[in-house]
Amino acid sequence: MLTPMSSSIILHIEDKANYFGLVLKTKSEGLVLGRPEGSAPGQAGTPSGGPGAKPILLREPCDLCGGETKCAKICPSGCITVVD
Amino acid sequence: MDLANGRVGVIDLGSREVSEQELSEEVIVKEFSCVKVAETLVSEHGNDSLILGTGLLTGSLVPAACAGMVRGRPGEDGTQRISPLLGFAGTELKLTGFDFIVIKGSASEPSYLWIRDGIIELVASPGLRGADAWARTDKIRADQGDRRIQVISTGAWGDAKNPCSQYVVNYWGGEDKHGLGSDLGAKNLVAIAFRGMGELSVADSDTHFVNASRVLKEHRARLGESKGLESYSAVAGREDFRSLLHRNLACFACPFPCRSYLKLFEDPKQMAHEHKEPGYLHYDVPALAKAFSIGLSAREATEAMMLCAREGAEPVAVLSNAHSHGMGGVDGIRKVLVDSPRMSHPASSEYIGSFQQESAFLECIGRGLCPRYWAKAGLQLPSPDL
Repeated sequence: MLTPMSSSIILHIEDKANYFGLVLKTKSEGLVLGRPEGSAPGQAGTPSGGPGAKPILLREPCDLCGGETKCAKICPSGCITVVD
Repeated sequence: MDLANGRVGVIDLGSREVSEQELSEEVIVKEFSCVKVAETLVSEHGNDSLILGTGLLTGSLVPAACAGMVRGRPGEDGTQRISPLLGFAGTELKLTGFDFIVIKGSASEPSYLWIRDGIIELVASPGLRGADAWARTDKIRADQGDRRIQVISTGAWGDAKNPCSQYVVNYWGGEDKHGLGSDLGAKNLVAIAFRGMGELSVADSDTHFVNASRVLKEHRARLGESKGLESYSAVAGREDFRSLLHRNLACFACPFPCRSYLKLFEDPKQMAHEHKEPGYLHYDVPALAKAFSIGLSAREATEAMMLCAREGAEPVAVLSNAHSHGMGGVDGIRKVLVDSPRMSHPASSEYIGSFQQESAFLECIGRGLCPRYWAKAGLQLPSPDL
């Protein structure tokens, strides 16, 4: 199965110019909100308007695809990048 | 079934009867075109059927695999009336559990279709008759409790079956240059709403991912960064257009977006929307070109297109009519929209830059790909093996 509906990532948007983050459901830490000012735990954030809108709590947690993060590789706009 | 649901939803609006029919993998793969499958469905269900469909690649990881299609009754001269469904509508439609929706007959009272989770429901909604397209979207989303519902609707022009109507996807117009809004009116449908919560399987997901990533990477390296609609048409390169630009938006899986959102009623540099209806999403190239050719500014053109979208009126036809009667400016557009004259579509030369006039339009739509993006990217159409 390969579909945006299964993604454990949703977009987090706040009303500031050029500002966005991601909410990631992880195996080890549960929900993690990644923002420009740093990460924060346990916040669902504002979902995106796209079709990948299954509630994040119902999605499988992210395992980083075993090291090859496919979401970053296939992200059409290049918004998703992987940093250590 | 891989990359498809294998199901067609059929509703007879007159009898309210809903049925399903199977769509074999053999047919989907052999035809590799939802346009051709729709022809088969028309031969089975009748020429006046309104058909919504998705291509085999719609919702896949292939770049700009966002397209669905709407097929109306053929024109009097036999011409096909097929328009794309872009944004997130094509993908959402496929994730409802149906690859195609066949709509037969006419409803006894103004109603909308509500499609999700493999269910098709006809919802009576007489209060929405005469409402504008934006109000229909707002009302349906509020009533069904989900702001991500995709709504194909029209306004007074579609209700009146005006040949120069258009369907509007959520709030925006530009896909429909065949007057398919009038097909909604003829069926007494105020809207078609759907929400996709399903999933698609892929036979060899690793290979699909690797190949799609390769194509994406190559396209991104070649195309560079998009400037929104300006990257596709010089009409959006005017300074007054740029000065109103708020942001560029992509359809599902598109790496080189053509949609530019302009704010009219508040600061375009402000990210937040404080005004309920601050602006308009531009992707209708011929309408914008027409507006500029008759002397409208970017602000006036945007306002005119907002008005046309709300009324479900095709803006090239409206702008042409206003100009030919010497009615300039936005007030002239308003008058044409209120008068709602019955008129013929302008010549095809007025629609240069529309999705329908892109090379390989039917081939792209048939596969579920955006014809505008793939014309830009180079028309190296993916094969069923991708």
